[in-house]
Amino acid sequence: MWDGILTGLGTAVMPFNLLMVVVGCFAGTFIGMLPGLGPISAVALMIPVTYGLDPASGIILMAGVYYGAVFGGSTSSILVNAPGCASTVVTAFDGFPLAQKNQAGKALALAAYSSFTGGTIGALILLFAAPALASVSLSFQSGDYFALMLLGLTAVAAFSGKGQVIKALLMTIFGLMIATVGTDITSGATRFTFGSVDLIDGVSFLLLAMATFALTEVIMTVMRGQHAEEEPEMDMASLGSMKLSKEEIKEVAPTIGRSSVFGFLVGVLPGAGATIASFMAYGLERNLASAKEKLKFGKGSLRGLAAPESANNAASTGSFVPLLTLGIPGSGTTAIMLGALIAYGIQPGPRLFVDNPDVFWSVIISMYFGNLVLLILNLPLIPYISRLLAIPRPILIPLILFFSITGVYLVSFNTFDIYMMVFITLGAIFLKLLEFPMAPMLLGFILGGIMEKNLGRALTMSDGSFAFLWDRPLTLTITTIAAIVLLLPLLSAMFGKMRGRGLEVTVKEGEG
Amino acid sequence: MTISKDHIGGLVFLCLSVAYGYYTGDIPLLPGDEFAPFNAQSLPSALAVLGGILSVALIVTADRSAEGRVKLAGYDFWLVGKLLVLVMLLGFVLPWLGFLLSTILFLMGGYWILGVRKVKTLLLASVPFSVVLWFMLAQLLDIYLAPGRIFTSLFGG
Repeated sequence: MWDGILTGLGTAVMPFNLLMVVVGCFAGTFIGMLPGLGPISAVALMIPVTYGLDPASGIILMAGVYYGAVFGGSTSSILVNAPGCASTVVTAFDGFPLAQKNQAGKALALAAYSSFTGGTIGALILLFAAPALASVSLSFQSGDYFALMLLGLTAVAAFSGKGQVIKALLMTIFGLMIATVGTDITSGATRFTFGSVDLIDGVSFLLLAMATFALTEVIMTVMRGQHAEEEPEMDMASLGSMKLSKEEIKEVAPTIGRSSVFGFLVGVLPGAGATIASFMAYGLERNLASAKEKLKFGKGSLRGLAAPESANNAASTGSFVPLLTLGIPGSGTTAIMLGALIAYGIQPGPRLFVDNPDVFWSVIISMYFGNLVLLILNLPLIPYISRLLAIPRPILIPLILFFSITGVYLVSFNTFDIYMMVFITLGAIFLKLLEFPMAPMLLGFILGGIMEKNLGRALTMSDGSFAFLWDRPLTLTITTIAAIVLLLPLLSAMFGKMRGRGLEVTVKEGEG
Repeated sequence: MTISKDHIGGLVFLCLSVAYGYYTGDIPLLPGDEFAPFNAQSLPSALAVLGGILSVALIVTADRSAEGRVKLAGYDFWLVGKLLVLVMLLGFVLPWLGFLLSTILFLMGGYWILGVRKVKTLLLASVPFSVVLWFMLAQLLDIYLAPGRIFTSLFGG
C-alpha cells in the first residue's frame, strides 16, 4: 500500500498535475456558482478538455472541478441565496441569513473550513478504506460484477426520493436501452442502427452527457426566462471579517467532525451522493441541538451551515469509493467520470488498484490537494472569481452552448453528432418537463455495456441458469441487498405506504 | 379524468418499450445463436419487457392530483426553438464555412436571439473569442480544422 501511496504522491505532485488541480478547482468554482449548472454539468464540460491529457491528469482535473463546483455552489448559496447545485441548497438555509447580517465573510470562511475538513477526513478514510475494499473485490467473478451493477442501478433509483422510484427505474432502463444501440461486442451484430452508418459505433457517452446535462441545463435556463433576469448584486464591500472566534470554532468543531464521517458514509452508498448527505447531516445536527440552539437553525446558525458543508464535501469524496474499487459510481458526477475512465481504456474496479496504481492513488492524493487549493487559493479569491458572474447572461449562455457543442464536435469531427445532440436535448427537455431524473439514465447507459458482458459470461458459464446469483455467498449477499434496495421503495411507492414519510429529497439533475 | 405528467410519461415509455421490443426481433443472430444461453437479443428482450412493466406501473400509480398536471405556462418555447435551430444551422454551415467563420456567426446569432442588439457588443463578444480559440486549437494544439468547402472550391485546397 505504501508503494502505491508513494507512486500516487509522485504522480500527484508533478507540476502539471498540480496545475490541473488548481485549474480544475477554479473552473469548477466558477461553473458551480452559475445557477442551474451543478457539478455534473461542470464535469461534463471538462470531458473534451481531458481527452488530450493522460488518464491520471484528466481524472485529477475532473476531481478538482467536482470539488470546485460544490464549493462554488456554496458561495452563491451564501452570497445571493441562489444555490448553484442541489447539494448546496441546505447551505443557503443558514448561510444566506448570515450574509444578511453582514457576516458573509464569516459564513464563506466557515463553509470553506468545513468543506476542507470534510474533504480531508473523507480523503483520509478513503486512503485506508479503498485499498481494503479493492483487495476484497479482487476475488469477484462475472456473476458478482453483474450483481454489483444491479445494486448500483437499483440504488440510484431507490435514492431518487418520494414518488420518483418508478420514474428513476424507467430512466435506468432507458439508459440501458440506449447502451444497446450499435454493434454488439460479443457477436458483432448491429442493433437498432436502422441502417445508419453513424450509429454503428453506438451513441457516444460524451454526446449523451453533454446533451442531457450541459446543453439541456442551459436551454432550460433560457426556457424559464432566467437569461433575462438581472444579475444578483454581490456586495463585496460588506463581506465582513473572515475570522472565526475561539468559541465559534469550539461550537462547530464537533459538528464538522461528525458530519464529515456521516457524509462520507452516505457518499459511499451507490446513488446517494452529496445532496442527500447534506440534507441528512443538517437534519441530524438539528436533532442533536438543544432546544435553544434549534431555534437558531434557519436564522444563521453556524452549526446549521457547518453540517451540510462538511457532509457534502465528505460525500463527494465518499462517492469515489465505489467508483475506484467496484467500478460503480456513487453519484451522477462520478458516473460521468466512470464514462471518461472507460473512454481512456481504463476499467475502474478492483483491477484499477493493481493495473493502474498511479491513477488510483494519484486521484486519492490529489483530492487532498484539491481541498487545500480551495482553502488557500479560492477563499481569498472569491470576491474576484464572483466578478466573472457579472458577464451578462445573454453573452454567457451562447458561449456555454458553444462549448458544449464543440466539445463533442472536436472529438468526432462529425456534424451528425451536432444534430444528434439537438435531438437528444429535445428528448431530455420533454422528460424534464415530466419530472424524470436524468442521472439514472446516464448511469444505465454507462454501466449497460459492462453489465451485458458480465451477464453474458455468467449465463454462459452456468449454462443459462440464473443460479449464479445465489450459488456463492458473496453473490447472494449482493443480490439480496439489491433486491431489498429495489423492492422496499418500489413497493412503498406502488402501495403508497410511505406517503408523507421518507426522504423529502428528490435527486434532481445537476446534483452531485 | 386528469391526465398527469406520470400518465404521459408512462404512455411514452410504454410506446417506446413496445417499439424497442418489436425491433429487437430484427437483430441478426449468428447460426445456432438462438440456442445459446445468451445472445445479442437477450438483454434487449429483457429490457423491453421490464420497460413495459414499469411503464404500466407508472400509469397505474400515477399522481392524479392537480400538482401532477403538466404546466407549460411561463416557458418560452419559441426562444428555445430559435436557439436549437441555430445549433442545427451551426452543424450545417461548419463544413461549408469552416470553424472560425461558423463560430463567429453562431455566437453573434446566439447573442442576437437573447436580446443583444448593439453591433459593437455583438462583434466584440464573438470575433476576438473565436480568433483566440481558433488560434489555440489550430496553431497551439495542432488540431486540424478543415477550411470551409466554400473556400476550397473558390481558392482551391
